[in-house]
Amino acid sequence: IEMECRVLSVQSHVVRGYVGNKSATFPLQVLGFEVDSINSVQFSNHTGYAHWKGQVLTADELNVLYEGIKLNNVNHYDYVLTGYTRDTSFLETVVDIVQELKRLNPKLVYVCDPVMGDQGSMYVPENILPVYRDKVVAVADILTPNQFEAELLTGRKISTEKDALEVMDLLHQMGPDMVVLTSTDLISPHGDQFLVALGSQKMVRADGTTSTQKIRMEMPKVDAVFVGTGDLFAAMLLAWTHHHPKDLKAACEKTVSVLHHVIKRTITYANKMAGPGKRPSPAQLELRMVQSKKDIEYPAIVVEAIVL
Amino acid sequence: MECRVLSIQSHVVRGYVGNKSASFPLQVLGFEVDSINSVQFSNHTGYSHWKGQVLTADELHVLYEGIKLNNVHHYDYVLTGYTRDTSFLEMVVDIVQELKRANPNLVYVCDPVLGDHGSMYVPENLHPVYKNKVVPVADIITPNQFEAELLTGKNISTEKDAVEVMDLLHKMGPDTVVITSSDLPSRLGDRFLVSLGSQRTLMPDGTKSTQRVRMEIPKVDAVFVGTGDLFAAMLLAWTHHYPNDLKTACEKTFSVMHHVIKRTISYAHDLAGPGRKPSPPQLELRMVQSKADIEDPAIVMEATVLNL
Repeated sequence: IEMECRVLSVQSHVVRGYVGNKSATFPLQVLGFEVDSINSVQFSNHTGYAHWKGQVLTADELNVLYEGIKLNNVNHYDYVLTGYTRDTSFLETVVDIVQELKRLNPKLVYVCDPVMGDQGSMYVPENILPVYRDKVVAVADILTPNQFEAELLTGRKISTEKDALEVMDLLHQMGPDMVVLTSTDLISPHGDQFLVALGSQKMVRADGTTSTQKIRMEMPKVDAVFVGTGDLFAAMLLAWTHHHPKDLKAACEKTVSVLHHVIKRTITYANKMAGPGKRPSPAQLELRMVQSKKDIEYPAIVVEAIVL
Repeated sequence: MECRVLSIQSHVVRGYVGNKSASFPLQVLGFEVDSINSVQFSNHTGYSHWKGQVLTADELHVLYEGIKLNNVHHYDYVLTGYTRDTSFLEMVVDIVQELKRANPNLVYVCDPVLGDHGSMYVPENLHPVYKNKVVPVADIITPNQFEAELLTGKNISTEKDAVEVMDLLHKMGPDTVVITSSDLPSRLGDRFLVSLGSQRTLMPDGTKSTQRVRMEIPKVDAVFVGTGDLFAAMLLAWTHHYPNDLKTACEKTFSVMHHVIKRTISYAHDLAGPGRKPSPPQLELRMVQSKADIEDPAIVMEATVLNL
């Protein structure tokens, strides 16, 4: 049976490599999703290389593209997906678009990666935070913050798992029924070679009351800096929650497993390219996306999510 | 497979033309595709409305500079299609020449989009740029009959004319020429159109040998957009796998086209309803749904080798 599911993805485009729309589009297409993509920038490559060059899309230009879609009466989407954005007016325009698309399709699911920073420091302009906190998160349905971003959005620090669960509940109250804390500093029972990720899904029971399913995953740390993995994560979470809408455990196991396979293939290749004892370069560390097609289509499950 | 393509074509938010038409199929076949988007439009220009932005020749150069500064300007293929701007096209030629200096084995696949059925649909001043600058650096070209006539200044009324025109095109540069469609009468009747191909190879003894093929393609009663872009991309892929066997490369390429078009027309008619002509949105290629046919096309037509 052919799936008929259309995603509007508003993210960066890089000529070379896999971040933003380059990271999200191919895996979603391979899984049968129709992906309409608005490129928020066009750069030669991601900004972790020694050099990068390109052009950015303004909020007005974004509006113009959306207008074209709207004038043809094809502004009907099942999902919206967004990630790394640096410009507040661009982000506000995204919110306007999401709200209009939701009026046309009340079932639309907005998957939002609220990219702001990591490990205690912001890598976007500070004035992006209030836009996410006060406008974006309110219209998001699925949110994929890391620990730092979750703390920023809620104003609460996370030192224990209990803190993390409370922060996810606070985020539910702000909007999204599904929150995944993609990485944290929490101590893993498996030791310091593992990092802890958590998820929470709010559901409405038949009798109208709400319940949440909360899960924890331990993921092996990798000794390398990857770019684009967060974008791949959000895209694959979109795909697997689509297939497992009421089963956060299954959706997360598939998503995290895909990431594992892609990262493993990538690090092996990167180390081979760099040679023994040499640290791979950003160019060598580009995700082996095309080579991972089978793992994207049929991810072998390599992590078990514990239901809390 | 470790094969990198630089594709410089349009991007549309919705639908399948230009880079949207070429990237997914090439990626599905294992090619690394670096893509420079020459424009970003909401959708192709056959819809009632379209809106968006174009890349200037300078901006193209800036993107290429980014790639070059990182020393990753190493490509096995370049692929280009529909372009409206002469300075943009000239910049493309400069880039191709530099990339060929960096990799003398680079293959430039060029669809010299100028027009069809006797009239040009790009500015006239592109014609001399294609003729004098682009075609001389191309290795594979995919003109239709009108474009082949324009480039050589010779009319095609018979198959003999077509073979002479393809020989003239070889003299101008490319060793592989496919006339993607013509008005020549088909042996199978008027529900078929004739395509022709010619490939010149250097023999071990230094002489040149030319393989020429003819294909009869079933006509379809609809206007598709993006099929030429898909064709050029798939010809790139299948000549990569069959570099000295134009017959097989063409059979695979035309077969993929057949499967995608057939799936598209069925779906379009389903959407439009009985007795109604499908609209441009409804006629968008069913690209994502055709993944299996793209990966492993069942051969549905036989190319005849011409003995001349």
